[in-house]
Amino acid sequence: MMLSVKDLSVRYGRNQILDHVTFSVEEGHWLMVVGPNGAGKSTLINAVTRNVAYTGNVLFEEEDIRLKKPAELARCMGVLAQSHETAYSFSVEEVVALGRYAHSSGFLSRCREGDGDAIEAALALTGMKNSRSRSILTLSGGELQRTFLAQVFAQDPKLLLLDEPTNHLDPAYQKQIFDLISDWLKKPGRAVISVIHDLSLAKAYGTEVMLLHRGQVIAGGKARDVLKPAYLDRVYGMDVCGWMRRMLSQWEDPEEARTGNRA
Amino acid sequence: MKLSVKRTRSLAAVLAAAMLLALTACGSQNDGQGPSESTVSSVAEQDGGSQSAAEDSADDAAEQDGGQEETDSTSVTVTDMVGREITLDEPATRVVALTPSDCEILYAIGAGDTLVGRGTYCDYPAEVSDVPAVDSGSETNIEQILALKPQVLLMSTMSQTEEQAKQLEEAGVHVVISDAQDIEGVYTAIEMIGALMGKDQEAADVVGSMRSSFAEIEEKSAGDGSKTVYFEVSPLEYGLWAAGSNTFMDEVANMMGLTNCFADLDGWASVSEEQVLERNPDYIVTITMYYGEGPLPEEEIMARPGWENVTAVKNKAILNLQNNELSRPAPRLAEGAKMLFDFVYGSE
Amino acid sequence: MKTRKERFRALEYLFFSALTVAVFCLCVCIGSVNIPLGKTLSVFRDALSSIIQRCLFRSSAAFPEGTDVSILLTVRLPRVLCVAITGAALSLVGAAMQGLLKNPLADGSTLGVSSGAALGAVVAIAFGITFPALPFAGTMVMAILFAFLSLLIILGLTARLDRSLSTNTIILIGVIYSMFVSSLMSIVITFAADRVQHITFWTMGSLQGKGYPDAAILFGALLVFGGVILFHQRELNAFAVGEENARHIGVNVRRVKLTLLIAVSGLVGVCVSVGGSIGFVGLVTPHMLRMLTGPNHRRLLPASLFGGACFLMLADLVARILLNPRELNIGIVTSLTGAVVFVCIFYRTRRGK
Repeated sequence: MMLSVKDLSVRYGRNQILDHVTFSVEEGHWLMVVGPNGAGKSTLINAVTRNVAYTGNVLFEEEDIRLKKPAELARCMGVLAQSHETAYSFSVEEVVALGRYAHSSGFLSRCREGDGDAIEAALALTGMKNSRSRSILTLSGGELQRTFLAQVFAQDPKLLLLDEPTNHLDPAYQKQIFDLISDWLKKPGRAVISVIHDLSLAKAYGTEVMLLHRGQVIAGGKARDVLKPAYLDRVYGMDVCGWMRRMLSQWEDPEEARTGNRA
Repeated sequence: MKLSVKRTRSLAAVLAAAMLLALTACGSQNDGQGPSESTVSSVAEQDGGSQSAAEDSADDAAEQDGGQEETDSTSVTVTDMVGREITLDEPATRVVALTPSDCEILYAIGAGDTLVGRGTYCDYPAEVSDVPAVDSGSETNIEQILALKPQVLLMSTMSQTEEQAKQLEEAGVHVVISDAQDIEGVYTAIEMIGALMGKDQEAADVVGSMRSSFAEIEEKSAGDGSKTVYFEVSPLEYGLWAAGSNTFMDEVANMMGLTNCFADLDGWASVSEEQVLERNPDYIVTITMYYGEGPLPEEEIMARPGWENVTAVKNKAILNLQNNELSRPAPRLAEGAKMLFDFVYGSE
Repeated sequence: MKTRKERFRALEYLFFSALTVAVFCLCVCIGSVNIPLGKTLSVFRDALSSIIQRCLFRSSAAFPEGTDVSILLTVRLPRVLCVAITGAALSLVGAAMQGLLKNPLADGSTLGVSSGAALGAVVAIAFGITFPALPFAGTMVMAILFAFLSLLIILGLTARLDRSLSTNTIILIGVIYSMFVSSLMSIVITFAADRVQHITFWTMGSLQGKGYPDAAILFGALLVFGGVILFHQRELNAFAVGEENARHIGVNVRRVKLTLLIAVSGLVGVCVSVGGSIGFVGLVTPHMLRMLTGPNHRRLLPASLFGGACFLMLADLVARILLNPRELNIGIVTSLTGAVVFVCIFYRTRRGK
């Protein structure tokens, strides 16, 4: 078991954000965390990365994450945030190279063998090789997200945590990012957890899905077992599947589809 | 130099105020723009004319008042040093003085007992500290002053004082500005305050004694301007400042045949340490106060690294006039000058 | 590729140190009193040979004397040294804070840390807080302590208002804090006017009359605290990209932040207790150098050291000779330049958004 979470609870003042959440992730799996706004999805990521105080247990490979040093933890888990505010004109390569921090912290081992290779590989994988010396201030949202994806690839963690990684990206970039991650996941010894709003994406890429509502796990397991109207309608308070089907059916109209394809 | 002081036989008229000028607490760093001398002399010229005018207005006032008071009282009219005319029914008995120099003048002419309030920085003579203090300078507080119920407020100006003077005069306080730019101006101020207090004779005595002691110094001094003196008004620790020309110190130095080595600067000015070393003064006069901690100001100057080649330091020719003897437009200027004279030429 | 970059860095170092040496020589040769270059050189040659002879051969070789020697060796040289080290230190502090807070407007003077340090120094002097063994230590320790507390207060207040520590909020809090501290300082000075230096020293700063001991203290502080900052180049890069991101890549955010804040406070505290709070050096130089070296702290931090030294030496030169024989306050020159640059950066960052 790569990550096992037991009775994870987080409260901010009187608000119980997470209430005894229990789940686990195995090697090779992609866990999709879904749920309406305010369900506690982002807090879950923050707790697992030790960014907020929590009660309960979070074990990474059977070891409590609270016993790990920050750099050690970063070698186990990498995070891709949903957006990035930039202030200075660092180059793409400089940002990606920061991903190696956890592998060479301490000033005696500034540059380790393999750092260069990892950075090159990450740049190549994300297709940012030709943009390596561009300033991050000049990048589009998708390019910026790919840069930080390259950074987390260079960091080479075993578990990748994604907090709505494609929230504000257009479909082409969404596909790109998700394909890149599922390629990354193919190597042994890796797993992914991602928080996501788009239930279709969750169903398409996830091996497991966990449905959160008001800090509690409503359902967890295989995607097809969880993303069912029985759960979704209750959590979202509407006929989610029906609505999505209606959305998709627009494209099934032969007339529309034909013109759409031509355009 | 005469003052336009008149005693009329009838009741006095009340005046309103207009313009004010500055006389800072530390004195002498004014830029010499003060019109003190010319104003006073021009007033003196029209002395005869203004006498009758004053009588007229006094008569009017008497009529308006219904002639309650009998005549033959001692009304006082003075023109202050920015040219405003102030008339009092009788010599003042309750005075607030904001500047240290005016306090000193009051005590010198024997009118110290009329002082009911003083500015924060008034420190001479020692008994002045028994007088209630009021905020002065930029913090001048009208309420504090009014609470002391003075007849006269002696003050200098800051930018906002025109307004303050107006308020004070509306409240019935006569505002008198004293503003001496040079030693002659100090005489004028003394005589003006003397007249205000009905102490003309005492004021004349003070001025006379100042005149004679300056004359004596001038006469005895053998200097031909070849020896230089450096007046340090702020020590190295706070950033060096020197007294340049148009200062009392400069005037006194010239009087005794010394050359102020920063005469090329006007008023008080920040100077470079290198320049002091380069100009190599024969005498150093510092006005730094000593508060009983650390080295004496003279010793501090002697110990400054790099100053050992300065003639004054080599000869230990450093004088500390720490009680503002040479920086305030007050009667003690004569004492300060005497101290400097004794220091330069020996006191035999 | 890597080697090319390394060599470029070596060239940069060479350029900056050559520039600094050149500016240093210029500032020692020019001053309020005009001493011919030949004379200047011979004074230094004689002094140097005398020192070498004394040290190596223990002979009592005569040390040169005279007014020019005094001016050059005991007035001008130590002052220029102090100015150079202060400039380097303040500029390093500015660069570090701008990186740490991801805020191009951060600096000891804009955030009120310098004012805080000055208040500490004033309080130490006014209430006679000293350690008998070290005459200056009381002032210095209090200045460092107050600088650190100021940083905590400013960051704490900002974090309460705005968790992302945005540029504008932090600057606003800094300005308010500076004003608050300045009035506190005026009050303390009013109560202890006989002990405390004139307020302009603390608000504008001055390095007039500073000697070799001051230079040594400044140098020591730069070595210790500056060293700490220089060892955190990678962490500063991470913070400059974003604090969240720094946490994700494994930076010990709390520890690094605390360490850097202590180093920054230490450096600001020592500089302020020696030379008062000289404004805007830490804002102007890193900003201008970033255009040259890029935001990477591996290059920016060393460049700031040299650049800050050059900038402040030149500002001091202007202060010394512009109104000769009068002397301007060095803080006036830096604030004048700094205010203009500040407005430029502010406009640019605002327009960028």
